[in-house]
Amino acid sequence: MKHLQMTEDLQETAILYAAGALGETERREYARHLDEDNCDACRAEVLEFEAAAQSLAVSLPMQTPSESVKKRLMAQAEALSAMPLPRQERKGSFFALAGWLTAAASVLVLVIVLSSNTTLRSQVDDLKSRVVDLENQIGTQKSLLASLTSPDIRIINLAGQGATPKARARILWDEPAHNWHVRITGLPQAASARSYQMWFVPKTGNPVSARVFNTNPDGSAEMEIAVPAEVTTLMAAAVTDEPAGGRPQPTGGFVLLGNTE
Amino acid sequence: MASRDASALEAFYDQYNRIAFTLVFRIVKVREDAEDVLTDVFWQVWQQAGRYDTSRGKPLAWLLTIARTRAIDRLRSGGRRGDEIELDAQLVPESAERQQDPFVLAGIKRAVSKCMDALPEAQRKALEMAYFEGMSQTEIADALKQPLGTMKDRIRTGMMHLRKCLKPYEAPL
Repeated sequence: MKHLQMTEDLQETAILYAAGALGETERREYARHLDEDNCDACRAEVLEFEAAAQSLAVSLPMQTPSESVKKRLMAQAEALSAMPLPRQERKGSFFALAGWLTAAASVLVLVIVLSSNTTLRSQVDDLKSRVVDLENQIGTQKSLLASLTSPDIRIINLAGQGATPKARARILWDEPAHNWHVRITGLPQAASARSYQMWFVPKTGNPVSARVFNTNPDGSAEMEIAVPAEVTTLMAAAVTDEPAGGRPQPTGGFVLLGNTE
Repeated sequence: MASRDASALEAFYDQYNRIAFTLVFRIVKVREDAEDVLTDVFWQVWQQAGRYDTSRGKPLAWLLTIARTRAIDRLRSGGRRGDEIELDAQLVPESAERQQDPFVLAGIKRAVSKCMDALPEAQRKALEMAYFEGMSQTEIADALKQPLGTMKDRIRTGMMHLRKCLKPYEAPL
C-alpha cells in the first residue's frame, strides 16, 4: 500500500529499517513495500535515515585494503570485458558460433557484391573491418567450445529439490586440474542464520564438504572449488540447507542434487 | 560503469574502496574476510550498475548499503570468528591515514564526529549493535537485558539526532 503522508509509526519503521534493526521477516516485508508498492513517502524517509546510519561508517578510522584486492577485481573485470557475450550460457556457444559464422559469411558476400561499385568502396572497407572483428569473436567462441568439448571436462547438472524446484546448477569438472567451476541460478538467498553447503558425494563413504556459501540477491552464484585429490569416484554432487557456517556432515534438506553419471 | 567498462570500475574503486573497506572490516573484523567481501561488493556493483536508480540514493550510499549487506551475510555465515580476533584498526597510524581520508579533507568527518560525540552512550551502543553487528531490535534488547520498547526508543532517538545534526552539512551520502 502506498502511503500519502508520514506518520510516527511509519517513520519508526523507516528508522529501524535504515539502522538495520528490523527482524528478518519485517525487513523483507518492508523492502518489498519499498520496491513493489513504489511508496515515495517511505522511500524518501529511508534514504534520509540511511544517510544518518551510514555516518557511523564515516566516523570510523579509515582502513586501506591491500593492493591484491584491486588486482583480483580488475583481472576479473578485464576477463569478462574481453568476452563478446558476457552473460551468455556456455551451452549456447555452439549456436552462437554458428550464428557468427553465418553473419561473417553474409558480410563476405556483401563485400564481393559491393566491391564492384566504386562509390561504395568506403562501405566495403567498413565491412572488411567488421569481418576482422567477427573472425576474432569466432576465435574466442572456438576456444570456449574447445574447453567444453574437451575429454577432460565432465559436466554435472544439478536440479532443484524440495522447496527450491526452480534452482539449477552446472558443474564443469576439470578432472586433471582437480577443479570444479560451479554456476548456480534460481536459488534464493539462504534464510537468516542459515547457509548453503555443497558436498562431494563419493560412491562409498560419507559426503565431503566442498564449500559453504550463499547466493547473490538475484539467486545466482559462481565459484571455483578445488577438488581434493582423494575425491575421484563421485556418485553425485549436492547442495543442502544448513545452519550458518555449515556442518561436518549434511543435516538439512537437499536444495540441489545431481548424479555424476 | 553500466556498460561494463573496466576502467569505470577502476575509477569507482579508486574513489570509494577505503570507505567501503572501513565499513566491511568493522563488521567482519578479519582483514582477509573483509578483503574477500570487498571484492564481491565491487563486483556486484559493476554487475548491477545498469540497474542503479538515481532516485534511490547517491552512488556512495548505494555502495555502502551493498557493502553492509554483504558483510553482515559473511558475519552470519560464519567464516573465521571475528569476535575472537582483535580488530587491527588501532594498529593503523590514524594520523598517516587521515592525510588521505577524503572525508577528513572535506571537513565531513569532523561534522560527523561532532554529531556522534553528542550521542548518549546507550543510543550509540544500540545503533552500533544494529548497524555493525546486524542485530535486530529484539536481539539487542535481549543482549542488553532491556525492554524492547526502550531499545526501539534508543534507536529512534539516536537516528533522529544524527539526521538533525547532520542536516546543515553537505551530505556526503
